[in-house]
Amino acid sequence: MSRGDSLYRRLLTWLLLPLLALGGLMVLQAWVDARRTADRAYDRLLEAATLAIAEQVQWQDGRLWLDLPPAALEMLATDAEERVFYALYDAAGRFVTGNAELPGDPRLTLDGRGEDRLFYRDVDWQGLSLRQGVRHSRLEDWQLTEGFEVRVAHTREGRIALTNQLLRSNLAVVLAMAALAVVVLLLAVRSALAPLTRLRRAIRARDPRALTPLELALPRELAELRETLNELLARMRRVRANQERFIGDASHQLRTPLAGLSARAELALRQDDPQAWRNALEAMQATSARTARLAMQLLSLTRLDNPEHHPEHTPLDLEQLAREAVRRHWSECHGHGVDLGLAGTDAPVVVHGIAWELEEALTNLIDNAWCYGAHRITVRVGGTPPVLAVEDDGPGIPESQRRLVLRPFHRGREEGEGSGLGLAIVDGIARAHDARLVLADGPDGRGLSVSLHFPEAAP
Amino acid sequence: MSRSWHVILGLLLCLWLPIATADEQLTFPASPRPTTPDSATDGEENAGQLVVHGALDTPIMRPILEDFHRRHPGITLRYRNLTTLALHRRFLASPADADVVISSAMPLQYYLANAGHAMSLDTPAARAWPAWARWRRELFALTFEPIVMVVRRDIVERFGRPDNHVALLDLLEQHPKSLQGRVVTYDPVRSGAGYTYAIAESRLSPRYWDLVSALGLVKADLVETTGEMLEGLANGRYLIGYNLLGSYARQVVAQDPALIQIIPNDYALVTQRLAFIPRLAPHPVNARRFLDYLLSETGQRVLAERTPLGAIHPALDGPGTAAALRRSQGEALHPLPLSPGLLATLDELKRQALLSRWQREYGRDRSSPAR
Repeated sequence: MSRGDSLYRRLLTWLLLPLLALGGLMVLQAWVDARRTADRAYDRLLEAATLAIAEQVQWQDGRLWLDLPPAALEMLATDAEERVFYALYDAAGRFVTGNAELPGDPRLTLDGRGEDRLFYRDVDWQGLSLRQGVRHSRLEDWQLTEGFEVRVAHTREGRIALTNQLLRSNLAVVLAMAALAVVVLLLAVRSALAPLTRLRRAIRARDPRALTPLELALPRELAELRETLNELLARMRRVRANQERFIGDASHQLRTPLAGLSARAELALRQDDPQAWRNALEAMQATSARTARLAMQLLSLTRLDNPEHHPEHTPLDLEQLAREAVRRHWSECHGHGVDLGLAGTDAPVVVHGIAWELEEALTNLIDNAWCYGAHRITVRVGGTPPVLAVEDDGPGIPESQRRLVLRPFHRGREEGEGSGLGLAIVDGIARAHDARLVLADGPDGRGLSVSLHFPEAAP
Repeated sequence: MSRSWHVILGLLLCLWLPIATADEQLTFPASPRPTTPDSATDGEENAGQLVVHGALDTPIMRPILEDFHRRHPGITLRYRNLTTLALHRRFLASPADADVVISSAMPLQYYLANAGHAMSLDTPAARAWPAWARWRRELFALTFEPIVMVVRRDIVERFGRPDNHVALLDLLEQHPKSLQGRVVTYDPVRSGAGYTYAIAESRLSPRYWDLVSALGLVKADLVETTGEMLEGLANGRYLIGYNLLGSYARQVVAQDPALIQIIPNDYALVTQRLAFIPRLAPHPVNARRFLDYLLSETGQRVLAERTPLGAIHPALDGPGTAAALRRSQGEALHPLPLSPGLLATLDELKRQALLSRWQREYGRDRSSPAR
């Protein structure tokens, strides 16, 4: 089993990767939250400091005056000993007093209207990372309204320390959850894949010759697999039954002529008349020839039934094939007083197929026809779609029997010399060529027409 | 200029002009080889230059510098003494000049460190330094100098000993005629130190303003330096000196039986010399070594035993240390906190407000019955 193809690994990967991504998102969220919480906590100090300073702003001697409360700055220093900056600006944006000329907040415009407004933001000021609070306020005196701005800022050490502290506690929770999730995930995947192991063991433990269905309680997805397996096993059982019957039939078919040969030889040996010996030998020659032919047919049927057998298909001209078959069989048929003819097209009809198989099929069909008492046999070749047919004026086959005659060793009649394999072989050849085998009445409603309808040749 | 002459001049300056106005310099050239076995053996580190700028008179600074130089003879050591304000301005003009800056102007030093001009010092001594005597690891208080009263012995014999501010207030209010023009204190307008004490005292107690008003009542002389006050007290021109720098007063009082130093037992401000390493220090390795030395037990022992500045190091006890002073004065000692409150001191509007209040209280007409 290659590394990438493990179901266990695949499941773990697709479960753990999203889990990890989710965990990362949670950590990020925790950091954002911690930072926001820390900022909210410390921004209260900026708020209080600006308020304390704003309350001390007065109008004195024709100008803004501030009696700076030291406590306002001390609360900004906090435990972290932050650097502290403050500045007071008048309505025109002029520096009044302070220990640093802090920048203003772009969100605030000194329009002299409105009530107290307070904005926070992070600023980089002279290489220091500061959190700034800007309060816009107004002096309300009897005759005078004067806007001013209190700007305070301090460094972020305390916030960072608080953020880290909050993050650490959150991180512990996230990590514990992640560890728990991973453990649960491992157990879950393991238990989900356990039935697969059971199935594998059940299959491995079977007798290789047994084709009985698998009986095993499995989850739905695997139950489907089990059903499919059982269907396959059922088909194999049917195939094996067919094979066993075929073998039985074949041995029976071979035993009968061999027994006949043996009996005839025994009978002839009891006689002293050379003429009788000759007669017996002639009869035995005919029987052994028929038996040899039977064996040949059995062989070709076995070959056709072999699913592993995939010979190369080559382009063939049906017209030419039919003409040669007629030439081959003409003298034999003529000897039996049978009229063998060809009804072809002028143009070649090309199909992909195996020459010897199609020749075999034609031979079987022509032999069958005159064996069963036809007097006139026509080999017909059709163009589009390609058709190869053999028609006769014999007794034909009743419609109810037409399916049965395709089975090996089924014979239309008990008498005659046929082996009962001819049409079965033709059926096998038709299937090997993806052709449709059609049994129909012959022309004028008499006799039999056996035709192979080939699929439309690929261009 | 010979070194002995320099010492004598320095000593004089130390005694009579504690907050020096002169621009003095001390140089200890590097010697080719170590002179003592206990000096640092690491030659690579034990070389180069070190430039110290301080508002600390050279005679006081000399024992410390000598001891350091004896331990690190490979370092060419230069010390420049400036006034607090000159030091501040010089630093702002060229922040890459000095390796260590020492000054008693706590607000100005704090202002510079707060603005990010200082470099962090992370040594065991710096980490062990008491939290109340440092800000971050950038600004370190090296000394512990109480603000004291100095009175002449005869005033104690006549009117009793003013052990605290209430007693002093009573003394001033009850004997305005005898004390007319015979009291001296800092002028908060002209002296930065005086202003710093005034703002600190006004925060400590609202009754400070009564004291200012009483000082006005006796037409107290307002001067710029502790040296001037000590000179007037020694020659009998003044009977009472209020808010003198204890580190300077201690030496003079010890040599003059006519004078008594009083550390008020209700509250006594404590001022501290603050040192930092500028971020742009040209010789940062030596700067760290020097500051680390000042914070070490060795350096602080020199500070305690050979200078009038009080040592802070918690391991030291005995005369001239914060521990001993705290034991004798208890809770009354109020070191100026190293906090942003010092920034408020520098606020110009606040300064104007405080000074105008101070002058108003000082000039209040006490003869009117409205009081």
